[in-house]
Amino acid sequence: MKEPGDNNRQRIRRGLSSSAVMTALVVGMAAAALLIGMVVFITIYHHSMIQNIKTYSEQVTGQVAAVVGDYIDDVSDSMQLIRETSLLPEKERDEKLNALAELRPEIIAITEYDLETGEMLNAWTGKRRLKEDISVNLSYPEQIPKEGELKISEPHVESFFVNEYPWVVSVSQLKPEPDGTDHILVLDTKFSSIASYIDNVGIGRHGYCYIMDEAGTIIYHPQQQLIFAGLKQEPSELFKNVSGGSIEKDGAIYTVHQGMKNGWQIMAVSYVDEVITDGLEKCVYLLLILLLCVMFATLISSVVLSRLITEPTNRLIYAMRDFEKNAEGFAFSPISGSREMAALSDSFGHMVVRIQELMARVRREEVALRKTELRALQAQINPHFLYNTLDSIALMCEDGRNKDAVAMVNALARLFRISISKGHELIPIEKEVEHAKSYLQIQKFRYKNQFEYEFDVEEQCLGYYCNKITLQPIIENAIYHGLNRMIDEGFIRIRIYEEDGDVIFSVADNGVGMTKEQCENILKKENNANSGFGMKNVNDRVKIYFGERYGIRIESELDEGTTVYIRMAKVEGENYESR
Amino acid sequence: MKADKESRTKNTKKTLILLSAFLVCVLLAAVLLIRAAFSGSVFFSSGASQENYKIAVIVKSTTSSFFNSVFAGAGVAAAEYNVELTTEGAVTEEDYEAQNALIDQAVENGADAIVISAVDFHGNEEAVQRAADQGLPIVVIDSDVNSDDVICRIGTDNFAAGRMAAETVLSGTEGLLSIGIVNFDENTANGQERETGFREVVGESIRVKEVKTINVLSTIEDARQGTRELIQENPDLNVIVTFNEWTSLGVGWAVRDEGKKDDIMVVAFDSNVVSVGMLETGEVDALIVQNPYAMGYLGVENAYLALTGKKPEAERIDTSTTLVTRETMYLPEYQKILFRYD
Repeated sequence: MKEPGDNNRQRIRRGLSSSAVMTALVVGMAAAALLIGMVVFITIYHHSMIQNIKTYSEQVTGQVAAVVGDYIDDVSDSMQLIRETSLLPEKERDEKLNALAELRPEIIAITEYDLETGEMLNAWTGKRRLKEDISVNLSYPEQIPKEGELKISEPHVESFFVNEYPWVVSVSQLKPEPDGTDHILVLDTKFSSIASYIDNVGIGRHGYCYIMDEAGTIIYHPQQQLIFAGLKQEPSELFKNVSGGSIEKDGAIYTVHQGMKNGWQIMAVSYVDEVITDGLEKCVYLLLILLLCVMFATLISSVVLSRLITEPTNRLIYAMRDFEKNAEGFAFSPISGSREMAALSDSFGHMVVRIQELMARVRREEVALRKTELRALQAQINPHFLYNTLDSIALMCEDGRNKDAVAMVNALARLFRISISKGHELIPIEKEVEHAKSYLQIQKFRYKNQFEYEFDVEEQCLGYYCNKITLQPIIENAIYHGLNRMIDEGFIRIRIYEEDGDVIFSVADNGVGMTKEQCENILKKENNANSGFGMKNVNDRVKIYFGERYGIRIESELDEGTTVYIRMAKVEGENYESR
Repeated sequence: MKADKESRTKNTKKTLILLSAFLVCVLLAAVLLIRAAFSGSVFFSSGASQENYKIAVIVKSTTSSFFNSVFAGAGVAAAEYNVELTTEGAVTEEDYEAQNALIDQAVENGADAIVISAVDFHGNEEAVQRAADQGLPIVVIDSDVNSDDVICRIGTDNFAAGRMAAETVLSGTEGLLSIGIVNFDENTANGQERETGFREVVGESIRVKEVKTINVLSTIEDARQGTRELIQENPDLNVIVTFNEWTSLGVGWAVRDEGKKDDIMVVAFDSNVVSVGMLETGEVDALIVQNPYAMGYLGVENAYLALTGKKPEAERIDTSTTLVTRETMYLPEYQKILFRYD
């Protein structure tokens, strides 16, 4: 069994509930706002991050340049010292310079050349052994330094040792001799102190810096080995047409420091991606947290709201629909919720009570009205019936059938007495039966015994009450419409019996019968002028007094006959009031 | 009516509880946010906190400068990717059993990946398979092993290197050639591949009278002895080709011993200070230099990639080989290849 509210509920659920709409709206707006915020933030962050990196890189390269400058000054000092030492007498000079090459790990070799011939005049190498036949000497400067100038070469391997090929940088200087010729002093140094300094310069997680010469050739790179092995390359052409500043390329920021005394450049490389990606990760993480918070908050607020507003609203809607369907039997239980909802609920409750009161009153008034109407009807006597009966009595008197006339008059008198019944609507069934018998008696006289009738009344039913004048209209109908047109003798059988706790009157005739339409019409037709009460009248009265499930039911078959059943409640006193 | 009132107050209570829960949540979220904003690094300290992988690099020898370069490259990659590195090698370059023991030892010591230069193409198969079955990614560098579970092979294209040696021989000589090949262990994959490549090219030349191969132990002494015998037995031998660092030195010494540096063209493999000296003095005429540093670096890098669930750059990565002669050895770009930067 479906509850009456089920359909309504489904119909309501088909639309979006207001709290769901609100949740979606809030979450959507929050997400949109956060997203826009994040995009703006990331853009600004990205920009400022790059700016930061550039500034920092510039600082770093500046510092490195200063350190490298100091280092070159140191080398220059060493050169000065070597130069002074080289002027000492041979033995002392060799001793001191060899000791220098041996003790200072940076210094690999000190060599002296004749500028004109390029011949190696002296070599102080500490304990390292020179090759007997030096085919190539990479220490000899490619470009001859000018007077007083210090020339620093690109890194190269030291090619004149036996079984030893260290990578060095050659520092060369012109050394004028007392005899007017020029010698070249070359210091081959390992560059290691500056290398370890450069190695430790970090920018970001993977950023680094390296030294280039004027032409962009790498002098020292912290990942020199990777570059030598061909596993790494630096873009050497980057700053060819630009002087100084920073350039972004392939996700890296290159910042160059130029303007060192010897023309070297310091390049800083930092990776945008790793810095920005970290920032981005943070942003996305924050965004997710925020979104989660908003979702959670919205969820809770929607639950709260639905508890306060949506749910009570729905319940009120169901209650209203239920009330619409069954106003009389509806019982309203108050709905809790927000203050406004509670007020609405209270108002509705009051309204329900008021409407139910009004409805009850209307019905009471209607019943009262109908009763007056009925009484007025009952007061009427079908005049034709009266005339015809009186004519019959007159005829009997003329014929001297006094006995019959007396019986007829008695029956007529009984009929009217019971019809009036002091204005009561309900009379004992016994009286009703008497009424019906009187009527039949009169009609039998009038119809000259064209039909027979029989009563079959259960004894215990006689004490119950029924609406008065219920059998007579049915019998009248049976005589006029069922038997009057018959050639054969008619027969009417009237039964009164108990069934399922109710009292049933049944009037069966063996007349011409009715079609289905006739059966239906007969209960709709108002009483006509010929007969006082129509079938409809009886049906209406029974229903008014006893309720919808009571009243008349007709079973009929053409040429076979008709049976009319009247169902009434068992009523034991005349004070019975309809529900 | 009384019951209604009661249920209504109950509901209001529930609502109040929910509201307070909501407030608490908002507060919590705010606290979380502020914490996240002020110490973002707490939430995602990526990189630094991940556990260190252990990668074992197992090669054929720990003394050759070739494998020292491999180790140097591996070390740089290990530092870059923050992995723990162990480097080991067999005592002799024929001792695949010792290498197998090293592999098993590495697995036992909890290595997460193995980078190997196999002594024996077949002899190392089982031990490598055992390690692979344990779920360790195997990266082969320099010399291959017979296994399908190798995720990446990095090294010289040995056939091409052999062909390069042959072309050097053909372009650096005139007249008929009697060629001697001093190769190392017959079971080592890379040496055989180089010889195949070499023979492929010289086989096409009508100038080549004969090609003779001797197999020696991968030591200076054995190669020197073998080469001397080869020279003595074949007086008209005018080309010797040899395929690794130790045999190169052996051949160089033998040529010096026999005083044949002007008569025999020697094409040797790999560089160390001695063979570079011989290139300069003439015992060796050309060196085919591989890129061991790149092998080590890429080996560890690809092992790391495999450990972190990424694909290697390629299944086969060829590292560069460079032909260095007396004329080119001191040119700046050749210096970089020939002499390692320490």
